[in-house]
Amino acid sequence: MNAIQTNQLTRSFGNLKAVDRLTLSVPRGTVFGFLGPNGSGKTTTIRLLLGLLDPDDGQAQVLGYDTREQADEVRARCGALLEHHGLYERLSAAENLDYYGRIWHMSKVERGSRIRELLEPLGLYERREEPIGRWSRGMKQKLAVARTLMHHPELVFLDEPTAGLDPVASAVLREDLAMLAEQEGVTIFLTTHNLAEADKLCNQVAVINHGQLLALGSPADLRSRTSAPRLYVSGQGFTSQMIEGLRANALVNSVRQSNGQVVIDLTDLSRSHEVVTQLVAAGIQIDEVRKEKVDLEDVFLRLVEEERRGEE
Amino acid sequence: MIADILTVAGKELREMLMFGETRGRSKMSLVVLVLIFGVVIPLQNGREWVTSPISAMVWAWMPYMWVYSVVADSFAGERERHTLEALLATRLSDRAILFGKLLAALAYGFTLTWAILLVSLVTVNVAARGGGLLLFSPLMALAALVFSILISGLSASIGVLVSLRAGSVRQAQQWMSFGMLILFLPLMLIQFIPRAWLESVGTTVSNADPLQIGIWAAAALLVVEVVFLAIAMRLFQRSKLILD
Repeated sequence: MNAIQTNQLTRSFGNLKAVDRLTLSVPRGTVFGFLGPNGSGKTTTIRLLLGLLDPDDGQAQVLGYDTREQADEVRARCGALLEHHGLYERLSAAENLDYYGRIWHMSKVERGSRIRELLEPLGLYERREEPIGRWSRGMKQKLAVARTLMHHPELVFLDEPTAGLDPVASAVLREDLAMLAEQEGVTIFLTTHNLAEADKLCNQVAVINHGQLLALGSPADLRSRTSAPRLYVSGQGFTSQMIEGLRANALVNSVRQSNGQVVIDLTDLSRSHEVVTQLVAAGIQIDEVRKEKVDLEDVFLRLVEEERRGEE
Repeated sequence: MIADILTVAGKELREMLMFGETRGRSKMSLVVLVLIFGVVIPLQNGREWVTSPISAMVWAWMPYMWVYSVVADSFAGERERHTLEALLATRLSDRAILFGKLLAALAYGFTLTWAILLVSLVTVNVAARGGGLLLFSPLMALAALVFSILISGLSASIGVLVSLRAGSVRQAQQWMSFGMLILFLPLMLIQFIPRAWLESVGTTVSNADPLQIGIWAAAALLVVEVVFLAIAMRLFQRSKLILD
């Protein structure tokens, strides 16, 4: 059974379609990245999945429960770190976690041991009695992540957990998230526009823009699906006659010169050695041949750009 | 459900007792309140503090002031500090959250009122020194008990309702102050009522059974309270609160 299953999920605010016929499934035990630019519908999707908002159309099941009819059951089994960390700054770290433990009916002993279990690996246990108002943003985010895991949820929603953190704090939190995800074995639904984060943490990613799903798959899948098979060749002896010779090759889609390099788009990257052999045979002194490496950011930008062109 | 209400109320009370920047400062504020209403005013009134119906009216309305000072924070404060959405995303039911916040405000007003009343009794007795123990009559004590609960409840339900709708704590406090003004308006208007009318009302009241008047007043308060509570329950919608 999937942890999350949505079918044509739709929610509008006035004329704005925040989530538009979203159909996706999130397998249990995965770290699922939900990528999209600001205002693309990520937060609204989480709110719909938690039953905090009702959809206008379509339906969603979370852990087998309908989000419209059984929202209480959904929330009872999930943890959520939403747009803001939502911690009580006048209370101490331990009091914050204890409150959430009580909400989930954990016994006093359970709460105490769980607080230790969660805060120790995050390096916060020794400071658990401090009011958190003066803590750094990074420490508060870590505590908020611990809070979402306090009651051993089956599914955790994390809405841009590293937003607003400096690069060092983001990297630390990412490592902590990866460690906690592995240690706890929960399904994580993570929204972010930090693509390096998604690349590092997620088994599956979906790209959303204007409420619509643009792509779904593993980061590697998306890279291969959207990357152009492209070679960058640097060297001496390129002539226009040789370039024309390349264009005549059935393997070559296009050739152009850019910044002292020759950029060759191929039909099949696995046969790139044939093109390199042709260049060597034509007397080119090759300094470097590089296959294009596409990261998730390129994939994301390409998908968003394609969507924009489609709309035009 | 009961456990959930108590959990929410417990956290609310803890935060109420921490209003101010530090625990030390909040304790100081409480000490000042107890000194003014538990020592200074009873000393000024002397023996009348336990016998006069006027003083009974003062401490009947005391809980409104205490509750008013903290209840505005219940939802508006959570919204302002961005803690509301996290709370709404938990397993707590709407009613557990609403009644938990109500109970905390009510308990705060009731407990503080009675703590101050007890201190005031000690003050009056120490000041009187001799002549027997000065205590409220059983009827006045019963009225104090019933009305402090009802006024705390009324103030809490109005406050929670206001706090649900207000955009900020400051706005909620302004609306609550306006509410207080309306409640005390009749007292301020007394001077404009013709003397003959006042005398006739006074005669009617003094001839009536005080217990009966108390029961009618309590019933009226209860009805108003239930109405405000029903409105608050109707207005408490997760989706609306999230989008606010």
